[in-house]
Amino acid sequence: MASSEHVEADNAEAIITRIEHKSRKIETLLKQNKPVEALKTALEGSPPKTKDERCKSANWIVVHRAIMAIKDVDSLFFSLDPEYYDILMKYLYRGLSTGDRPTCNQCLRIHEKLTEKAGLGCILRSLADTANTV
Amino acid sequence: MAANTLRLYLTCIRNTLEAAMCLQNFPCQEVERHNKPEVELKTSPELLLNSVIICRNEAERCLIETSINSLRISLKVKQADELENILTKKFLRFLSMRAEAFQVLRRKPVQGYDISFLVTNYHCEEMQKHKLIDFIVQFMEDIDKEISELKLSVNTRGRLVATEFLKQFI
Repeated sequence: MASSEHVEADNAEAIITRIEHKSRKIETLLKQNKPVEALKTALEGSPPKTKDERCKSANWIVVHRAIMAIKDVDSLFFSLDPEYYDILMKYLYRGLSTGDRPTCNQCLRIHEKLTEKAGLGCILRSLADTANTV
Repeated sequence: MAANTLRLYLTCIRNTLEAAMCLQNFPCQEVERHNKPEVELKTSPELLLNSVIICRNEAERCLIETSINSLRISLKVKQADELENILTKKFLRFLSMRAEAFQVLRRKPVQGYDISFLVTNYHCEEMQKHKLIDFIVQFMEDIDKEISELKLSVNTRGRLVATEFLKQFI
């Protein structure tokens, strides 16, 4: 029991270091004016395969930064691969639950376009996936 | 700008409801011959889906909780000042007390929200799914208009009464 907790904590630290690394990469991409690439980097390796709330929060902060940096939603969907749609939808719902006005506005805008592109199945998958929550 | 966010907010809720309203009959697992809305009891986690909160801003939000045979939608309406607070509470209490007539309305709102709907698989069998969703979205649009109208009429009445009363002192 104690050993598995130890492994979990180790895992969490490793994940958080990976997230910080990702965050630095994203800052550089945003400075180069590549918001779509930044979002792709943020969504890679998400959600972290752990139950630790700190990892999920850390990952959310990184994805949030990338989402808020997007100005043109239509161009986003030209270049984003479909494999990222499901995970993006999960993060959009997390963004909508925050209640912060600019975040909600941005998430609502992306949500409308994402539903048009990915369909209702995407929404249902994010509702039904109780194992890998963000 | 505000109209645009309202449109996006309602579209998001409509899409989420269309995806979430996939209900089927499911007899109670614990007690035989009983059939209960699982979203109210929350006894078995395998029967529940993730609940989502959709916020338009700090004041308005919508909580959607689904389960295998029922769906609960709770709304928090925008209340700008004390008067709107009282009007909303009274108006929605009026509606909730007549929940039998609405069928899908819940008699008491969920804690932290102003009004709640409970849609079960029986409702989906009797009524059309897209019409139910239209009803709920239309309700959300009309609520804001109703509260503004009520506030306007209270202010107008107050002004008229005050003018008439104070005329005797001129």
